[in-house]
Amino acid sequence: MPGLEFQDVRKSFGAVRALTGVTFSVREAEAHALVGENGAGKSTLLKILAGIVHPDGGELRWRDAPLSLSSPRDALERGIGMVYQEMLSFPNLSVTANIFAGRELTAAGGRLRDAEMEARTVALLDELHLRISPRATAESLPAAYRQLLQVARALAFECRILVLDEPTTALTDAEADHLFAVLAKLKARGVTLLYVSHRLPEVFRLCERITVLRDGAHAGTFDTSDVTQERIVRAMVGRDLPPRAAHAARGASAAPALTARGLTRRPYFRDVSLEVGAGEIVGLFGLVGSGRSELLETIFGLHKAQSGTIDVAGTRLRAHSPRQAARRGIALVPEERHRQGLFFNLTLRHNLMMPARTVAGDILIRDAEERKQCEQLMSEWRVKAPGPGALPDSLSGGNQQKVVLAKWLATSPRILMLDEPTKGVDVGAKFEIHEIIRRQAAKGLGCLVVSSDLPEILALCDRILVMREGRIQGELSGAAAGEESVMHLATSPLRDAS
Amino acid sequence: MKRFWHVRELSTVAILVLEILFFGWYLWPDGNRAHPFLNAENALLILKYSSIYGIAAVGAAVVIISGGIDLAPGSIIALASVVCGVLFVDLGWGLGPSLLAALLVGVASGTLSAILIVAVKLPPFIATLGVMGMTRGLAFIITEGRYFDLSSKLSGGWRPLGLPADWVAPLVMIGLAIVFQILMTRFQWGRQIFAIGGNETAALFSGVAVGRIKTSVYLLSGLLAAVAGVVLALVQGQGKADLATGYELDIIASAVVGGASLSGGRGSVMGAVLGTLIFGVLRNALPQIPGATFYDRLIVGLAVIVIVVMDQLLLKRGE
Repeated sequence: MPGLEFQDVRKSFGAVRALTGVTFSVREAEAHALVGENGAGKSTLLKILAGIVHPDGGELRWRDAPLSLSSPRDALERGIGMVYQEMLSFPNLSVTANIFAGRELTAAGGRLRDAEMEARTVALLDELHLRISPRATAESLPAAYRQLLQVARALAFECRILVLDEPTTALTDAEADHLFAVLAKLKARGVTLLYVSHRLPEVFRLCERITVLRDGAHAGTFDTSDVTQERIVRAMVGRDLPPRAAHAARGASAAPALTARGLTRRPYFRDVSLEVGAGEIVGLFGLVGSGRSELLETIFGLHKAQSGTIDVAGTRLRAHSPRQAARRGIALVPEERHRQGLFFNLTLRHNLMMPARTVAGDILIRDAEERKQCEQLMSEWRVKAPGPGALPDSLSGGNQQKVVLAKWLATSPRILMLDEPTKGVDVGAKFEIHEIIRRQAAKGLGCLVVSSDLPEILALCDRILVMREGRIQGELSGAAAGEESVMHLATSPLRDAS
Repeated sequence: MKRFWHVRELSTVAILVLEILFFGWYLWPDGNRAHPFLNAENALLILKYSSIYGIAAVGAAVVIISGGIDLAPGSIIALASVVCGVLFVDLGWGLGPSLLAALLVGVASGTLSAILIVAVKLPPFIATLGVMGMTRGLAFIITEGRYFDLSSKLSGGWRPLGLPADWVAPLVMIGLAIVFQILMTRFQWGRQIFAIGGNETAALFSGVAVGRIKTSVYLLSGLLAAVAGVVLALVQGQGKADLATGYELDIIASAVVGGASLSGGRGSVMGAVLGTLIFGVLRNALPQIPGATFYDRLIVGLAVIVIVVMDQLLLKRGE
């Protein structure tokens, strides 16, 4: 039975052809996955479905009738609910207010029908098995609940199609399980699910069919039951990925590039000692909230440590600011590239040159030299962009991440700290970023990688430190570590309670 | 980015030219009488009075690009004129030392704003609102209702550096506009200001000394307002506590008309100065139209809205 159909949907932004005639259909009441690399056109397709973007050509159909969406409100009213990757909530408003935001139930004169909204919220929360108060503010909720709040928002009004864009990015496994249970129930009730994710295991678990987009075109729709993950990856990147590089057995070299001793910043972490050798890739694994990001930010000088010392290549690092840290050869690729990594009002050239030129203490901007250096950086790290004059907005997530990485490599650091370097990045770009890290390590750069992605840590790192509740809980060599041994350290009780 | 700025400034120039053409046509005199608007004397007059706004707008543009706002320039202009007046007229200081002292008062006011914003972490609107009140208040305390008549002490043929006195203000404005345009586009300092205005967190994470740069921005804004103040004192020949009342909003409006975005990260010094000229021409030409005298504030307000809306439409078209 035809449910939602995309027929020859086309959309261009200026010279960029985001969608070049995409045709596929989603059956009613099925869970359908949409996968593809960043820049493949998934977001554009979702924006069309949400009524934010209007296609240049082609049409959408629902149950054999044309579906034209003029605005996000229109899409909502026609029963299309969206759950976005970035959690859109009003942190200052209550759960009820969040669910009904923009569609408040009102009586005569615009007076809010609070009691009725609250009652419906309670029923919804119950249905989703969410044990939260309808009066709690959104900011007081954990990340997973805020995500589920969006599902509740979509369900508050008759929802026939629920679109989820990378909903598990910020969730722990248990939280994701909860979300999947809710989604399975919705599907049983006849809701059509369109599920966008980079995480293929999730897709295989939840969805009956998978549609792959590549470079703005439809690259195939597959039944989950008779396709492998490898086949899907091949369809996404359009080529076979080279086999994962074998673990180079590098020992810690004689001279440590970074040494931290007894670093403490309560309540985030305490008594952390670690060492990163030149040319070594050290992984720092721990669950969200174990203090990993705060540790990196403290080493980078964004926060002041209460006690402890940091040495770079054997000399003490004093009086701390990011600028001084950068001058001494410490680089930090932060977790949130949108908020912490990029200037969206400046061109790629200015983005790429900002740290290097700041560290060098330049006074004048030397255009010709910078342009040359940028082109070199962009080709070296394969940043797909029109040129150094492009704005970061026009780049896919993976390429934006490469820009943030490249801008720090341009400072020729001694220590490269990376916080979730491949978060929200597609398979191809992830592979390239890993290659960049390995190549830099081979040239003698010491790398400290924080990641929640355990396979990534295992594939990349020579040594793995496991953090739990602000303390280093143990150390494993990359060659010997397995998923179980790392997870065991990350979740087992603290060795001593002192 | 370079071409982008060029286009933006070009559209401001276009508006200015259109405006001049319009008034040139509308005020065209009958017969052989001299044109009341299109003449060299009037042009110098417009430049002279726009310079007060223009000099301060240079600082305002830099502040706005950095993502902040400065409400103090109007009162700093008054305070600087008063300090200059009391020292030069009442206490008999030389002109040079009096001017220097007035400029230092501007620097001090700017530094106070900077401390409140960078160290105390007040929002710029609140911090500079406070400084605005304090500087204006100080000007009233110093004058105690009097005003200082500088013109009587300046000899009639006063020619600084051998130039006609009327040229001083426009020349100072043009010089500062060029210097700061270059600082903002060709120097790392300016680029860091654009970066902070675009994304302050990312600037911090990129090793930019955010606090230091922001301090320099507010300090300069105070200094430039004081320059405008002493120029005003010399042009009008007086130091008075109620001078330049409400100028801060006109200055901000000029910067916005010249392409600056109040959310930061976008704008230009040249654009802001051109913006002050657009308003300068309006203020000069409107009173010459019979019956339009009482409409000038209304028309100036309308112009801000129309120009910014047009600009946004053009920007959208360009995307």
